[in-house]
Amino acid sequence: MISTATATGNSRALRALLPRVLGVAILLGLWQLLAVAGVSSPAGARLPGPGDALAEIVTLTRQGVLLPALLRTLSRAAIGYVLALAVGTAVGLAAARIPLLRAAVGSLLAGLQSLPSVVWAPIATIFFVAGGHDENAMYFVVIMGAFPSIAMGVLSAYDHIPPLTFRLARSLGARGPQLYRHFVISAALPGYVAGMRQAWAFSWRSLMAAELIIGSLAASGIGQLLDNGRSNLDLPEMFAAVLVILVVGVAVDDLLFTPLERGLLRRRGLLPAA
Amino acid sequence: MSALALQTPPRTGADAAYVRVNGVTKVFGTRKRSVTALADVNLRVRRGEFVCVLGASGCGKSTLLSLIAGLDAPTAGSVERPAGHPALMFQESALLPWLTVRRNVELPLRLRRAPSAERRRTADHLLEMVGLLDFADARPHELSGGMRQRAALARALAQDSELLLMDEPFAALDAITRDQLHADLSRIWEETEATVVFVTHNVREAVRLGDRVVLMTTRPGRVGRQWRIDIPRPRELDDPAVASLAHEITTELRRDLNGDRDR
Repeated sequence: MISTATATGNSRALRALLPRVLGVAILLGLWQLLAVAGVSSPAGARLPGPGDALAEIVTLTRQGVLLPALLRTLSRAAIGYVLALAVGTAVGLAAARIPLLRAAVGSLLAGLQSLPSVVWAPIATIFFVAGGHDENAMYFVVIMGAFPSIAMGVLSAYDHIPPLTFRLARSLGARGPQLYRHFVISAALPGYVAGMRQAWAFSWRSLMAAELIIGSLAASGIGQLLDNGRSNLDLPEMFAAVLVILVVGVAVDDLLFTPLERGLLRRRGLLPAA
Repeated sequence: MSALALQTPPRTGADAAYVRVNGVTKVFGTRKRSVTALADVNLRVRRGEFVCVLGASGCGKSTLLSLIAGLDAPTAGSVERPAGHPALMFQESALLPWLTVRRNVELPLRLRRAPSAERRRTADHLLEMVGLLDFADARPHELSGGMRQRAALARALAQDSELLLMDEPFAALDAITRDQLHADLSRIWEETEATVVFVTHNVREAVRLGDRVVLMTTRPGRVGRQWRIDIPRPRELDDPAVASLAHEITTELRRDLNGDRDR
C-alpha cells in the first residue's frame, strides 16, 4: 500500500521533470546543430557548441577564474537583492497605508517596473564609479531594477487581504502591532513571496547589465567574464559565462522561491492536490 | 442547569437589560443617495438570554449586529453593552488559513497574552466541547463546512466574552449538518450561560434556538412583533410546537413582505 503510494509519487515527480529535461535537450540539440553547421561571425570566429562551452567551464574552474567570479557576483546579487527588498517593502507598506502616497507612486512604480534597468548603469557609472564606489554602483542598479516588483507585490498582497480578515481582527480587538503580527503579515505573505520571486529575476538581469557596463573598473564577476570573452574574441568563454548566468538564475528560482511559494500555498490549501 | 432557569425571575424594567439598543437609526451613504438600514430600533436583551433576530435579507439585521459588536457606529441613538469585545461569529468561518485549528482557537488568548500552557489547555477544552479535538492539528482547508463553523464557535468561546453575537453562522450549511450544530449550540449555550444574539432568516432555526424571536420588518429595518418561546429544551426541528410557531411567524413575515410590495 505504502510502496504503491511512493511509486506513484516518484512517477509523478518524474512526469513533472520529463518535459523540462526534454526542453533543455531540444535547446542543446539546436545549439549543437548550429555549431556543427559551422555558423561563424563576420570576423570568422566559429560558434562553439555546448560541448565546447562546458569544456571551457571546466577549464575556467581549473584556472581558478570561474569560482571567484561567481562568488563575487552572487554576493553582489545577495546584497543588492536584500537592499531592494528593504526599499521595496518600505515603499510598498507606506503606499498601502497612505492613500495620498499610493495615488502618487502607484503608476510610477508600474512605470519603473517596465523601465529596463540597464538605463541606470551609465548613470550609476557617473555618480558612483567616478567616486571610486564601484560596488555601490552595482547595488544601485540592482535596487532600481528590483524594488518596484517588491513594492507592487506588497501593494497587491495588502489589497487582496479579505475584508473579513480585518473584521475578525477588529472584533477580536487587535490593532497596531498585533494587527500586523497576527493578521496582515501572514495574510499578505503569498502575494509578497510572488513579488520577491519576480524581483529576483529583475535583480539578476539588472546585475548582469551593471557588470557588463560598469565592467572593467570593478573587480570581476561573471558579467565581466563575458565582457572579457568579447574583448579577446574568446567565444567559448562567452558562452560558458552565458550558461553559468542562465543556470544560476534558474537554480535560485527553482531551489529557493518555488519551494517557498509552494509550501506556503499548500499549507493554506491553495494548491490543487493533483 | 435548565436553560429556562436563566431567564427567571423575569425582571421587568430597564435595569434587567444586559444589552440595550436605544432608538438606533443607521443611514448609509451620502445625503443624495442614502439608504436607511435601521430606523428607530429598540431592543433589550437580558443576561443569559438567547435572542433570535429574524428577518428577510436586506432588513438590516446584520447591520444591527455590527452596531452591537461596536464594529460600526449608529447614525442616531445609542447601544449599551458590557465593556470588552463581544465574541462574533460570521456566516463564513473566517478561520485564518495559515494556522492550525488549535492555533486559530488560541488566537483570542494569544491576543490577550495568555501564557502558552493556559492557551493550550483552554483551546483543547473548547475543541473537545465542539467535538473537534481530533482535528486540532488540521488546517482549516482540510475541514468540512460544518467543522469549520464548529472551530469558529470554539474561537468565539475562547474570547471568554459573556456576549456572543452570531451573524447567520449556519446559513451556508446543509440541513443535516445545521441540525447537528443547532443541538450543539443549544447544549453549549446552557453550559456556558452566555448571552446570545443570533441573526437569521431561517424561521425554524430561530424558533428552535431562541428564548425569544424578534421579527424585523424591511426597508427601513424596524423591530416588529416578538414571540417569547417557552417550548422546553432540547427542541427538535420537527417538534409540532416548533413547527406550529414557525408557521405563525412565517405568516407574519410574509404579510410584512407583501405589505412592503403593495406600498
